[in-house]
Amino acid sequence: MFSRTSIQTKANIISISLSLAATFIITALLIILIGKNPIEVFGNMFSEVFLSGYGIGQTLFKTTPLIICGCGLAFCFHASIFNIGAEGQLNAGAFAMSLIALKLGAFPWYISIIICIVVAFGVSALFGLIPAIIKIKKDVSEVITTIMMNFIIMALINYFLVDFFAVKSTMHTEKIPEDMMLMKFSSITSFFQGSSLNISFIIALALAVISYIVIYKTKFGYEIRAVGFNPSASKYIGLSPDKIIIITFIIGAGITSLTGLNFIMGYKGFYEYGFSNNVGFTAIAVALLARNNPIGIIFSALLFGVLDSGGLAVNEIVPKEIVLVVQGVIILTILSINTIVDKKFNIAK
Amino acid sequence: MYAVEFENITKSFGLLTVNDKVTFGVKENSVHCLLGENGAGKSTLMKILFGSYKQDSGTIKIRGKEVKFKSPLDAIDEKIGMLYQHFMLIDEFTIWENVVLGNEMNAGMKLDYKKIKYRLNEIIEIYNLGLDINKKICDISISQEQKVELLKLLYRNSDILIFDEPTAVLSPVEVNEFFKIIEKFKADGKTIIFITHKLNEVKELADRVSILRKGQLVYETDKADIDVQKLGKEIIGNVEVAESPAKISPNEENKKSFIELKDVTLIKDKVKVLDDITIDIRRYEIHGICGVEGNGQQELVDVILQFEKNISGTVMMKDERVSIVPDDRYKRGMIKEFTVGENLILKKPSEGLISKRTVDTASQYIMKKYDVRAPSAETPIGSLSGGNQQKAIIAREIEMQQNTMIFYHPTRGVDINATAFIHSEIVSLRNAGKAILLVSSDLDELLKLSDRLSVMHKGRLIKTFDETELSSGNRNNLLEQIGKLMIGIH
Ligand SMILES: Nc1ncnc2c1ncn2[C@@H]1O[C@H](COP(=O)(O)OP(=O)(O)O)[C@@H](O)[C@H]1O
Ligand SMILES: [Mg+2]
Repeated sequence: MFSRTSIQTKANIISISLSLAATFIITALLIILIGKNPIEVFGNMFSEVFLSGYGIGQTLFKTTPLIICGCGLAFCFHASIFNIGAEGQLNAGAFAMSLIALKLGAFPWYISIIICIVVAFGVSALFGLIPAIIKIKKDVSEVITTIMMNFIIMALINYFLVDFFAVKSTMHTEKIPEDMMLMKFSSITSFFQGSSLNISFIIALALAVISYIVIYKTKFGYEIRAVGFNPSASKYIGLSPDKIIIITFIIGAGITSLTGLNFIMGYKGFYEYGFSNNVGFTAIAVALLARNNPIGIIFSALLFGVLDSGGLAVNEIVPKEIVLVVQGVIILTILSINTIVDKKFNIAK
Repeated sequence: MYAVEFENITKSFGLLTVNDKVTFGVKENSVHCLLGENGAGKSTLMKILFGSYKQDSGTIKIRGKEVKFKSPLDAIDEKIGMLYQHFMLIDEFTIWENVVLGNEMNAGMKLDYKKIKYRLNEIIEIYNLGLDINKKICDISISQEQKVELLKLLYRNSDILIFDEPTAVLSPVEVNEFFKIIEKFKADGKTIIFITHKLNEVKELADRVSILRKGQLVYETDKADIDVQKLGKEIIGNVEVAESPAKISPNEENKKSFIELKDVTLIKDKVKVLDDITIDIRRYEIHGICGVEGNGQQELVDVILQFEKNISGTVMMKDERVSIVPDDRYKRGMIKEFTVGENLILKKPSEGLISKRTVDTASQYIMKKYDVRAPSAETPIGSLSGGNQQKAIIAREIEMQQNTMIFYHPTRGVDINATAFIHSEIVSLRNAGKAILLVSSDLDELLKLSDRLSVMHKGRLIKTFDETELSSGNRNNLLEQIGKLMIGIH
């Protein structure tokens, strides 16, 4: 959506509009097929998501982790690192965040929060470093290692939670002190009617802007993309692809940890097993849909956020799994229509 | 009877008209040479014929019948085959797998491997391609990769063959082999459209020649009237070709070595790819390396660039950094998705935020100073024509102002004009006191530029000619001697 040349921008806008229209039609047909009224379904969805302050707040709340995680993945994908392990990485970081927060009672809240962020980032980054090193040293695809790491991390968290850190007969940690919680929007204005939207959303937006600048406007960003396009040319140009891949993997994985801010520090106050609800995987689609452009990611995350909170609204009429179908159809149509439109515009790949 | 007729073909990219009302015919069962500078629009015209691009206006007739191709598949149906400038093979697959891959002749789902392999070996035998179909692409040389592409075309029974600069990647011996194959194609009744920059090849092969200049057809002639000088003039038009400046000779003591390799040996997969190499590269000198591709040139370059760590022997370098213009500009020379300016930015130390203005200014600066022609500063370097890409890469390296520079096949696949420009830049750099290593398989280029010339064979430097040996004596004798050394005869 935000590429350099105007032709590319035009092509992107056309292909995204076309695919949204196609998705709309396909979904409507599906709803008719199961004997329901698509107008009623879309109407409910729309009024739930857009017509109340609470709905808007909840939608943005669900958008937040997708933006954060999508930005982390955008770094990886630009370097052609196919990190499928965001789900594990972000859980590791978030778990660490909740534990360290419990230990920091003595500090002023802003210092505590910074420490939490640094620790979480470091832990997630470590789980990015491992597959990065295996990739560089042993030439093992990160697709395999990161998928396997997801299993390992989730099993480890499960073990530590159950045996050491969980509140009895629950799957969550203890609640962190109230003064360390991030401010909710609903405490500033009554417009959001008690929704869970909190300062993490602003942090997510800032992160997207910073990521955009780093990726497209700094030498380091050029290096990341150069290595992603062509590692061997990068080497002859004088870059060090191995080093860049490791650093990018660490940054990308580290960023995913900030997903925990929204849920832990902004909403519940504790880490809960399964809190991420597959954000690490959905964010892959979010990033790809935006062609790994962090500003675009804000919008694609919003699209998925709308579907997510809209799904709950229509649960009485159609199974809320319809949302998953819609997500799938959007991805497929965008990818296929993209190719067709690019070809029409003669955009060489 | 014409196999192909172009009638008023016009094609533009944005404001740039790349083909302008091009009209000519290609006779059946002939070799038709298409000539022109880099960027003249040759590849574009061929891509239109092959259905990869669609013309803005004009018609194409195949065997007298008008066609409208939607994609290369339609062209393949008409038995047209194209040998691309850049190969499209999957490294990890074997030769025969690559040939079978995506071939509509196998539409029946079930593959009869035995039959396919038998047929492939038959073709290899007939055309003397010398391929082992069970080898993986990553284990064969560039010239063999090209033969795999040929094999693909033959397997599909292509009748009209388009060769886009096929000889650019070949050594002199391989070029001769390639010509024999073309002659055999013609004897078998096939029609060949052949794009090249080497005019001697044209004289040898062509039944008819067409020349494109800035998208327009400017000259055509038949075999009998081919005059190499005339062709050269028509290709360039009314511009002067850059003359290389005269070499200046500094005092001997100024010729300090910037790089010295002593007894360097490199073993890879139990093969000595570099065998006891001793060489020094001095300032005010162009040190030429000649040899048949794959005799250790790449490894020698990689050692100097410090990509190879497990070497024995010593390497002394004046500077940490060395500029390199690599042999394969697509694989190693550039990020083709980036603009000229962005490719330059990659080489510079970081300087905070990089604005679009900075990048575009860098593009424009290089385009202007080195006469790199591109539709705009924002055009990705990958869609410039080959010669302009090469000029841009060379410009980028010159701008880095390193003391030592390596030029590896600097004019491969580059037209006369750009070649002259590049040669003159290299000599200017030498005169400015740079130390230059020139690796090439083009003997004319090596003899024209080198102050010293070493011949490489099986990882060894088997002879070094010094300045007096190069300048005195009979050129033909010298050529013969070097030719023999290149294949290992002392
Ligand atoms: N896809 C494209 N988009 C924009 N410009 C292009 C594209 N392909 C080729 N060109 C431009 O068209 C001109 C002719 O290119 P080409 O046909 O490759 O020349 P040749 O093969 O004669 O060297 C060049 O200036 C090149 O930059
Ligand atoms: Mg060309």
